[in-house]
Amino acid sequence: MLLARRNLFRDRTRFLLSVLGVAVSIGLILLLAGYRSGIYRQASAYLDHAQGSVVVAERGVRDFLGTSSVLPAGSEGAARQTPGVAQVTPVVSQFVIFEMHGRKDGFFLVGYDPAKGGGPWDLAEGREPAVDDEIVVDRTAARQHGLAIGDQIRLLDRDVTVVGLSGGTTFWAGSMAFARISTLQSLLRAPDLESFLLVSPAGGTSAAAIADRLSIPGTEVLLKGDVIANDRKLMARVYDAPIGLMVAIAFVVGVLVVGLVIYTATIERRREYGALKAIGARNRILYRVVALQALIAAVAGSVLGVGLAYGAATGLMAWRPQFQVEIEPVAIVFVLAASLLMAVLAALIPARAVARLEPAEVFRG
Amino acid sequence: MSTLTLDVREVSKRFGDGETAVKAVDSVSLAVEPGEVVLIMGPSGSGKTTLLSMMGALLRPTGGTIHLDGTEISALTEGRLPDIRLRQFGFIFQDFNLLSALSVLENVAIVAELAGAGSRVARDKAAALLTELGLGERLDFLPEKLSGGEKQRVAIARALINDPALILADEPTANLDSKIGHEIMRLLRGIAKERGRSVVIVSHDQRIRDIADRVLWLEDGAFRDVVTMATDPVCEMAVERERAVRAERDGETYFFCSRGCRDEFLGGTLPDDSRHPRSEIAVR
Ligand SMILES: Nc1ncnc2c1ncn2[C@@H]1O[C@H](COP(=O)(O)OP(=O)(O)O)[C@@H](O)[C@H]1O
Ligand SMILES: [Mg+2]
Repeated sequence: MLLARRNLFRDRTRFLLSVLGVAVSIGLILLLAGYRSGIYRQASAYLDHAQGSVVVAERGVRDFLGTSSVLPAGSEGAARQTPGVAQVTPVVSQFVIFEMHGRKDGFFLVGYDPAKGGGPWDLAEGREPAVDDEIVVDRTAARQHGLAIGDQIRLLDRDVTVVGLSGGTTFWAGSMAFARISTLQSLLRAPDLESFLLVSPAGGTSAAAIADRLSIPGTEVLLKGDVIANDRKLMARVYDAPIGLMVAIAFVVGVLVVGLVIYTATIERRREYGALKAIGARNRILYRVVALQALIAAVAGSVLGVGLAYGAATGLMAWRPQFQVEIEPVAIVFVLAASLLMAVLAALIPARAVARLEPAEVFRG
Repeated sequence: MSTLTLDVREVSKRFGDGETAVKAVDSVSLAVEPGEVVLIMGPSGSGKTTLLSMMGALLRPTGGTIHLDGTEISALTEGRLPDIRLRQFGFIFQDFNLLSALSVLENVAIVAELAGAGSRVARDKAAALLTELGLGERLDFLPEKLSGGEKQRVAIARALINDPALILADEPTANLDSKIGHEIMRLLRGIAKERGRSVVIVSHDQRIRDIADRVLWLEDGAFRDVVTMATDPVCEMAVERERAVRAERDGETYFFCSRGCRDEFLGGTLPDDSRHPRSEIAVR
């Protein structure tokens, strides 16, 4: 309604304040949601890009990132024998500490056989490791630590040379690095160690069918999608509560800012609302005027907030490339809905004041 | 066609309970006829505003009844009152109470819209009414840019926009200088006479009483006996209305000291400054 709009735009500073309040709140919510999506995206990046749709792990192991897995000997051979299996990619994964230029950092090291796959999917510079003392490290981590191709890294009891830099392998608790599977086997002094098998079905065979057929004693056979989901649950356990709390706080702050701004604006105009009531406007109409003001502020604020979130995300990722913020369309829909809810809740604060106005009050000086 | 617009019977209003109760209005009766201008005067705190609020269905009496065209509005449920206020009453306030964020035109149009008019129709109607009231040049102004008299004329337009039966004004001239105040009162009188609306004005301003058809004196919540005086337009003597010889001309009632004066008045031409029947009141 016209009155709502006019009342809002009449107190321009106040209107801007409420829009800004919503924008910051919505922007923050979106950024946090994007950060969470980014973590999830990073967490599943390896499996998303690796070949195969079925994962074979040690019995009892149901995720890729959280638990170390040691497959029984002969698992790879058994998998290869299974009808309908087109390709088997064995990998070894291990959390390791690198020492670079005197500084230490944790890496998620994947050992793979360049002939069978499972290595970096986006080799930005250099080449894959050809011999055992060569390594590919995440490009962002390399930049942070001032590493370049040809540099040496201390890895446990030996020195390895950086031969390649990989993109998209920034990782939630560190970064990824890739070496030959034999490098890890000798580092860990476990000559035939394999942690996981990534199994690709032959054309015409479904992942589920292969998963059913793969019965290797002492192993767990899982669909890759389920492993990814389990990894996400792992992340969720760590991140969802604090992120959820921050989102809730941002939301409440948004509601309070809009609510209080509209409330003071309403109190300031209480005589006018009282006059309207005396003239014959029902409470419902006055609520609508108040709620509409909150709604306009919320919608304008959330549009600005989405912009803010994109800006902040871009800035953050440029400043600290290890952060990945993924603002997803569904999150935008979610925050727009949140801003509507914000408006409704915010309008409740002044609505009570409006309802309590006595129409006879207007005749009093 | 009902002859009564508003019928107030033995209405009382008590604020608070027990020891601290204040009887603001005490068993007041009053009937307002269509086209009549009633002025309620009285000292501050005598209950004028309280009475007016009850007449306009803004406040519920603690005793007595108020009928509007046969409907007992004092007995209606809260939910039905907004419609009555919107369509049957036009309110005019001492400090105008215009909506500061809306233009002059919008201030008036919004009240028509509240009553269900489409926005186009409401704006046209408001523009016509405001133009009639001499505000044609001010339609897009914000209230803060208007003089007091202009604001009150906007308020009058707002009160008239839904064609109410009754206009209720509480101290409409208190914030205006006396010349402008007089203009406003004349305007209200004109509205009563030309449009057949009843107008009830509450004021303690002695200067405006001559525009009223009837002046009532409220003191301590009750009407005191008053003698309504009028000025004979011929000999200019003050006469008691109730006992005077009366005559109708051009829809106005005139009061005379004698048949002689009346005959002279009806036969002769009317001096310009006595167009208005003058009323005086005296408290007995
Ligand atoms: N809402 C109220 N609560 C308590 N007392 C009131 C209220 N409104 C008016 N009164 C009292 O009623 C009396 C009449 O007030 P009012 O109608 O405003 O008189 P007037 O308009 O003639 O100055 C005063 O004594 C006033 O204090
Ligand atoms: Mg008063």
